[in-house]
Amino acid sequence: MLGFSLYFGRVSTPDSQKLEGRVIIAQGDGSPRMSSDNADLKRRQRFDRVVGVLHRDLYRYAAWLCRDPGIAEEVVQEALLRAWKSLDALREDGAAKSWLLTIVRRENARYFERKRLETVDIDSLTPSQSAMLAESEDPNLAEMRQAMYRLEDDYREPLVLQVLMGHSTKEIAELMGIKTGAVLTRLHRARIKLKEEVEKAAAA
Amino acid sequence: MNASGKIMNCEDYREAIAADPSESFEGGAGHAAACESCSAYRAEMRALDETIAKALAIKVPELKVPDLPPIGEDDNVVKLPVNRPSRFSTPAWLGIAASFALAAIIGIQFSGNGPDSDRLLAEEVLAHMDHEPWAVTVTDVSVSDAQFERVVHAGIGTMDRDVGLVSYAQSCIINGRTIPHLVIQGRDGPVTLLLMPEEMISAPVELSGESVNGIILPHGDGSIAIIGEREEGIQEIEERVVDAVEWSI
Repeated sequence: MLGFSLYFGRVSTPDSQKLEGRVIIAQGDGSPRMSSDNADLKRRQRFDRVVGVLHRDLYRYAAWLCRDPGIAEEVVQEALLRAWKSLDALREDGAAKSWLLTIVRRENARYFERKRLETVDIDSLTPSQSAMLAESEDPNLAEMRQAMYRLEDDYREPLVLQVLMGHSTKEIAELMGIKTGAVLTRLHRARIKLKEEVEKAAAA
Repeated sequence: MNASGKIMNCEDYREAIAADPSESFEGGAGHAAACESCSAYRAEMRALDETIAKALAIKVPELKVPDLPPIGEDDNVVKLPVNRPSRFSTPAWLGIAASFALAAIIGIQFSGNGPDSDRLLAEEVLAHMDHEPWAVTVTDVSVSDAQFERVVHAGIGTMDRDVGLVSYAQSCIINGRTIPHLVIQGRDGPVTLLLMPEEMISAPVELSGESVNGIILPHGDGSIAIIGEREEGIQEIEERVVDAVEWSI
C-alpha cells in the first residue's frame, strides 16, 4: 500500500540484536527504514511547509466542527501530532489539505468519544464559546454565527467545507464518506435553515 | 436542461442553487436567464453565502506546533500479538451475543472483557483503518478483476463479488499477516472489509464510534472486520459477506 513490506526476525542492521523477534516495517526497496539527521530535517521542513499553509483552515474547520475554540486548539494539536507520525502516508503535498482535514475530522470524533461531552446549549456557553460567537460587531454576522452554531452537525460540516474550504460536492462526499446526493441535500437544507433563521431575526 | 436531460423547473433550480450557489450544475444558467424570479433567488442565495463565509472566518490563534517526537525505531516496529487464541469453529459465533464493545476509528475505545488477543486484533484493525483513510471513498468505479484476484487469491480463499461493488482492494498487513483489505459500496457509503483467514477471535467484537459502525466476526478459522458509516445497515452486509467468503487456508 505505502510501499512497505514486512520482515520477521533478525534483520541485518547494526541494531539487529534489539530487533529480533519483532516485525520491522521497511521501505519498498527492502532495506529497513533508518532515521538520520538529514532525513529528520527534511521531514520536519516538509511538515512545517504543509502545516504552515493550512493551519488556518484546520483550526477553523475544527472550531466549526466542535463549536469551541479551546477544544478546536486541542483537536488541531492532536491532529498535527498524528500527521507528523504518519507523514510518510502523504504521498503528494498537493493532497495535504484533504489528508489533514480528514485527520482533524477523526481527531474531533476521537475527542468527543473520549470526553463523552453533552451537546452544548447556546444559552449556557463557556466563555470561549461565547467569545467565538461575539467576535463580530456587525449584528448580521453575529446573528449568522449564532445560526451556524445552532445548525445540526450534519448540515454545518458540509457547508463549512464548501464555503470556507472551497471543496466540491464530490470532495465533501469523499471526506465525509457519504454520497454526493446526500451532500447536496444537506447543503440545500442547511442554507434554507440559515435563511429562515436570518429572516426570523430580521423580523424580530 | 439538467444533467439527466430534463428541463429544469423552478423547484429543481431552487433546490440546486441552494446546494451550490456557484451554479456549477448543468442547466442552471439557462433557467436563471429565462426566469426572473429564480434569478432573484440566486442573487439572494449568493448574498447569503457571502454572509456565511464572513461568519465562518473566525479569528485564528497563533499556530502552536506540539512537541514532535523523533521518528525512531518504535514508529517502525509493530509488536507481534502476545497470544494466539484457541481454535474456534464456526458457526459457533452465531449463538454468542456480543458481550463486549469496542469503540472504533475515529474515536473508538475498547471497553470489553474479551481476551487480550481479541483486543489486540481490534486495535490492529482500527490502527490500520486510521492509516489508510483514502481507501474509504464514495465511488461507482469498481476495481479490476485482475486486481481483485491479486488480493483475494487462492492462498486466502474466495469471495463472491455479488456482495457489492468493490471499489478498493489491496493486500495489507494485520498482525504480521498479509490479508485482503477491501472496500465495498454500501447503501449509505463505503464499507471496509478486512478478510483475516488466520485471525481467530472468541466472539464477535462490536465497533462503534461517532461516525462508524462495525463488527469483527469470527468466521471459520479466521475473522472478518466489517466497518461502515454510522447509518449503514451493517447487519444486512454481515450476512452477505459471511455467505460470500470461504477460506482456503
